[in-house]
Amino acid sequence: MRLSGGEIDRSQTLRFTFDGRAYTGHPGDTLASALLANDVRLMGRSFKYHRPRGVFSAGSEEPNALVTLRGGARAEPNTRATAVELFEGLEARSQNAWPSLAFDALAVNDLMANFLTAGFYYKTFMWPRAFWERLYEPMIRKAAGLGRLSMAADPDAYDKGFLHCDLLVIGAGAAGLAAALTAARAGAQVILADEDARLGGRLLAESATLDGAPARDWVAGLEAEMASLPNLRLMRRTTVWGLFDHGVYGAVERVADHLPIPGAQVRQTLWRITARRAVLAAGATERHIPFRNNDRPGVMQAGALRAYANRFAVSPAQRVAIFTSQDDGHQTALDLIAKGVEIAAVIDSRAEARAMGEYRLIAGGQVCDSRGRLGLRAVQVRHGGGVEWLSCGALGVAGGWNPNLHLASHQRGRPRWDEAAQAFLPDTLPAGLAVAGAAAGQGETAAVMASGVAAALRALADLGLSGRAPALPITEARSLAGQSLWHVPGKGRAWVDFQNDVTVKDIKLAHQENMRPVEHLKRWTTLGMATDQGKTANVAALAVMAELTGQTIAATRTTIFRPPYTPVALSALGGGDSGAQFRPRRLTPSHAWAAAQGAVFVEVGQWMRAQWFPQPGETHWRHSVDREVLATRKGVGICDVTTLGKVDVQGADAAVFLDRLYANPMASLKVGMVRYGLMLREDGHAYDDGTCARLAEDHYVVTTTTAQAGPVYRHMEFARQCLWPELDVQLISTTEAWAQFAVAGPNARKLLERVVDGFDLSNAAFPFMACAQLTICGGLRARLFRISFSGELAYELAVPARFGAALMARLVAVGADLGATPYGTEALGVMRIEKGHVAGNELNGQTTAQMLGLGRMVSDKKDAIGAVMSRREGLVEEARVLVGLQPVNPGDPVVAGSHLFAQGAQQKTETDEGWITSACHSPHVGSSIGLGFLARGAERLGEVIVAANPLQGQQIALRVVPAHFVDPDGGRLRD
Amino acid sequence: MTDLNTLQLTATTALGGTLPQEARHGALRMAENSGLALASLTLRRGTTQPAPFGLALPGPGAWGQAGRHAALWMGPEQWLIEGEGLAETDFATALQGQCPGCSVTEQTDGFVAFEITSEAGEAPILALLARLVNIAPDRLRPGMGTRTGLEHMSVLVIRRAPDRLALLGLRSAAATLWHALTTAAARLG
Repeated sequence: MRLSGGEIDRSQTLRFTFDGRAYTGHPGDTLASALLANDVRLMGRSFKYHRPRGVFSAGSEEPNALVTLRGGARAEPNTRATAVELFEGLEARSQNAWPSLAFDALAVNDLMANFLTAGFYYKTFMWPRAFWERLYEPMIRKAAGLGRLSMAADPDAYDKGFLHCDLLVIGAGAAGLAAALTAARAGAQVILADEDARLGGRLLAESATLDGAPARDWVAGLEAEMASLPNLRLMRRTTVWGLFDHGVYGAVERVADHLPIPGAQVRQTLWRITARRAVLAAGATERHIPFRNNDRPGVMQAGALRAYANRFAVSPAQRVAIFTSQDDGHQTALDLIAKGVEIAAVIDSRAEARAMGEYRLIAGGQVCDSRGRLGLRAVQVRHGGGVEWLSCGALGVAGGWNPNLHLASHQRGRPRWDEAAQAFLPDTLPAGLAVAGAAAGQGETAAVMASGVAAALRALADLGLSGRAPALPITEARSLAGQSLWHVPGKGRAWVDFQNDVTVKDIKLAHQENMRPVEHLKRWTTLGMATDQGKTANVAALAVMAELTGQTIAATRTTIFRPPYTPVALSALGGGDSGAQFRPRRLTPSHAWAAAQGAVFVEVGQWMRAQWFPQPGETHWRHSVDREVLATRKGVGICDVTTLGKVDVQGADAAVFLDRLYANPMASLKVGMVRYGLMLREDGHAYDDGTCARLAEDHYVVTTTTAQAGPVYRHMEFARQCLWPELDVQLISTTEAWAQFAVAGPNARKLLERVVDGFDLSNAAFPFMACAQLTICGGLRARLFRISFSGELAYELAVPARFGAALMARLVAVGADLGATPYGTEALGVMRIEKGHVAGNELNGQTTAQMLGLGRMVSDKKDAIGAVMSRREGLVEEARVLVGLQPVNPGDPVVAGSHLFAQGAQQKTETDEGWITSACHSPHVGSSIGLGFLARGAERLGEVIVAANPLQGQQIALRVVPAHFVDPDGGRLRD
Repeated sequence: MTDLNTLQLTATTALGGTLPQEARHGALRMAENSGLALASLTLRRGTTQPAPFGLALPGPGAWGQAGRHAALWMGPEQWLIEGEGLAETDFATALQGQCPGCSVTEQTDGFVAFEITSEAGEAPILALLARLVNIAPDRLRPGMGTRTGLEHMSVLVIRRAPDRLALLGLRSAAATLWHALTTAAARLG
């Protein structure tokens, strides 16, 4: 029912639906308050027992009123109705109920409650084991779900950003406002963030005045000043949800969640805030007092009733009872009376309690049961030795307040129990963080504000700034005396954790079953898990456990909190990166040209590389690849190999440096020549291969594989900076600066002769493994390397990257009569397998130079990284070496990953003799071929072995052959 | 055929066009700077710090300009030297001539450069920076520059003036960087 006053805008009416029924509300309402205004108390069903549930709180701690908000692809399950600002056209649906919220068939679970106790799943669904994944888990998930995903792609945009400040104030209630004002007036860079759309926090929920006027007036005055301060950033609708290392706070700003659709805006922004100091002023959460059947719609926090009455101008019922162990509970009665709500009684568990106004007080009483299937109708009160049923539509429960110290725990800080405050308070705090206000256990508004000011002044002093305490408003004194009452003893189920359906009985059972440490209690009962993270349950549960063990709460200790404080959408965490923008895409210089040719691309790390270039009439990728291979081996092929890493190495000690880095000698390399190089890891295994070109005495350019370009450069920098800082050597990556093309095939020289500017490419002048700096195409500076991956007469030609696309087009155009053919990575792979060159499949981090047939490259005349370790027994004794493999029946495939066995041998780990690393169809050989590591392979040439592929049930007879299928003598590349 | 052989090659920009791309969002204008020549300069042992093209080589975190040339500190005794409008010259050789005994490496096409200017002072520049890089504004005042991460890419951010910013990133990832930049600017409106 709607009351008078409040912070809602009655001049506008907003229409919304809940479970298809139309309702109205006003700006300033939350979905929860608007539903209460429409006399809707039943808002959901509980997780396990499917019990009817209504709203329990007025804030982000809500355990019960979880709805699916919006529809279609925008449907978002488990949205707290208490934290949703009402907007025109809002659409919400209840969850976890079938066929309807009022009649839920799965409520049968509630009748089986004696079986569905804590640990029920663990005890029941044990055998047979195979059933868990296929039957039990899907069944349990279906029965006990909390909402359903839309399974459609999120249509909204998300953003991310970074903020830096001197002081981050988390929470814009009384303490946070005071802290932010103090720091901002002193000139500090301040961020004030609050999850609410309005500043003021609890001030808006209370009837207490500031300076004799409603608190909202004081807040409004402050907002005006704050808006004028350029060094203060106000972040409304922003939840600071995590504290991470080095004073970095995660925050989500709900930019457009209060709008029907975001339109041109992003929906949410994920902020990473680096704060030199922070004040946690997140307030406190009121705790309840478990009693039998305390989960009915209408039973809620007394403070929430007050918030609904004062801020939202609603009451869940005309007749309300209060159950309290605190003076604070009486305030709710007074505020409700002031709004015209009838108070059935205030039941105070303290015998000495006194009434603070005109209402019936039952001192020394306890609520011990309730009635009302879909909503509270009456509560049973035990007092004076008897029981009495009191009719009421809502019950406010006031059991004291728990400081919201979650963020103070995110760096593993464990709170301590404070007996005087009857609450957990922050203990050891993360560096730079202070806690103020109700989050620090303060209750009185004046004290709360003063603690905010004090925290800000301390932060300012730390930062070397001087500040002054601002004049604070005159507050009304209110009594906050109370006595803890952790639960009402008795039969039946008394809920501690509403969201996970954990009762006092469950905690007793956990205790009986020796799940007594709080960490065990939590996992056995699932208490404090799920979307509310037990904000309204944890402390009561600890208290019950303490009572059962006979220990104090301090000795029982508490679990700690982890981020996020409240649920964060995965899309927000993703920061909006999805689809093609999910990660950086690197395009080769000839990418646009290749795309125009209709190339098929493949992701190679971040790179997009042309895989093959289909021609008209080619219906299968093999047609294209076979053609590219044959055309290259017959005429000339061109491939963009820019992705290979390139590192410029200069300095007086460049030669010494490379000698130590590569297993084979590099200092002896002549200027103008290139050498194949192999790097080992420190442990002696092969790391990466590439080429090393000496452009001058003190200048080399080395290449790496595409995949290892980054890691090898890092490895080189580590060696330069940390291993041998005494060497005069300078490194810089030039991978991106130069576009590089492999030009391979018998016509390669002829083709290049058409583009170089008068450079002598004859074998005598520019032999195999030569390199030079030259110009091409009328003066463009270029680099030429006579190296071959394909086994053909081949070169690699490099030009500044901006000319790469033009060069590719030019080579194809001027080489048309020579058969110039662009080829992709697939043909590149086929040709290197045919030639027996190793690549990533062979350099997989588990192989050695000896296995690769490169053992003699590891020089024993000098030291290099990994050289000594490569000679250790375990590696030297490794018998598997690289061989070629060819099917006995030419029609059979060779499958990479297959394991190799002797013919007739039983196939098991002990008899495994190696594996196939690379395989392809070789148009040159006319069958599938492969490379692999085979035990004693060099001695077994000609032997027929078996390639076992148990995944596909294949057994294929292969002949062991040399690893060079084309030109084994290397005549072509030296031609 | 002979014509083609001697015909000079045409450059494409990092974004793949023959002309640099431009975009405008609110007060922000951003453009690909394909004319920016780059070369790295590193001192060798025993060399004294040169002043190439009259540049006073800046210290850590700093960027300095002299005429059409500029320098960004990249690491101990290491700078990235810029030459505005010199991309299609042999800038590295020219720099080497200014710095005998130093290690110089051509970097022009190692990067794509985006120049961002604001028509409304520094506020839009600072707002854009907050969306792009995790650098505190006081670490990126005019005359400062740094290497940092942006959308999982390594970039150089240079604050050329209160209202001017340059972003240098991997040339191959130019399209990704341009998307990130224009998306962020468009959202600032």
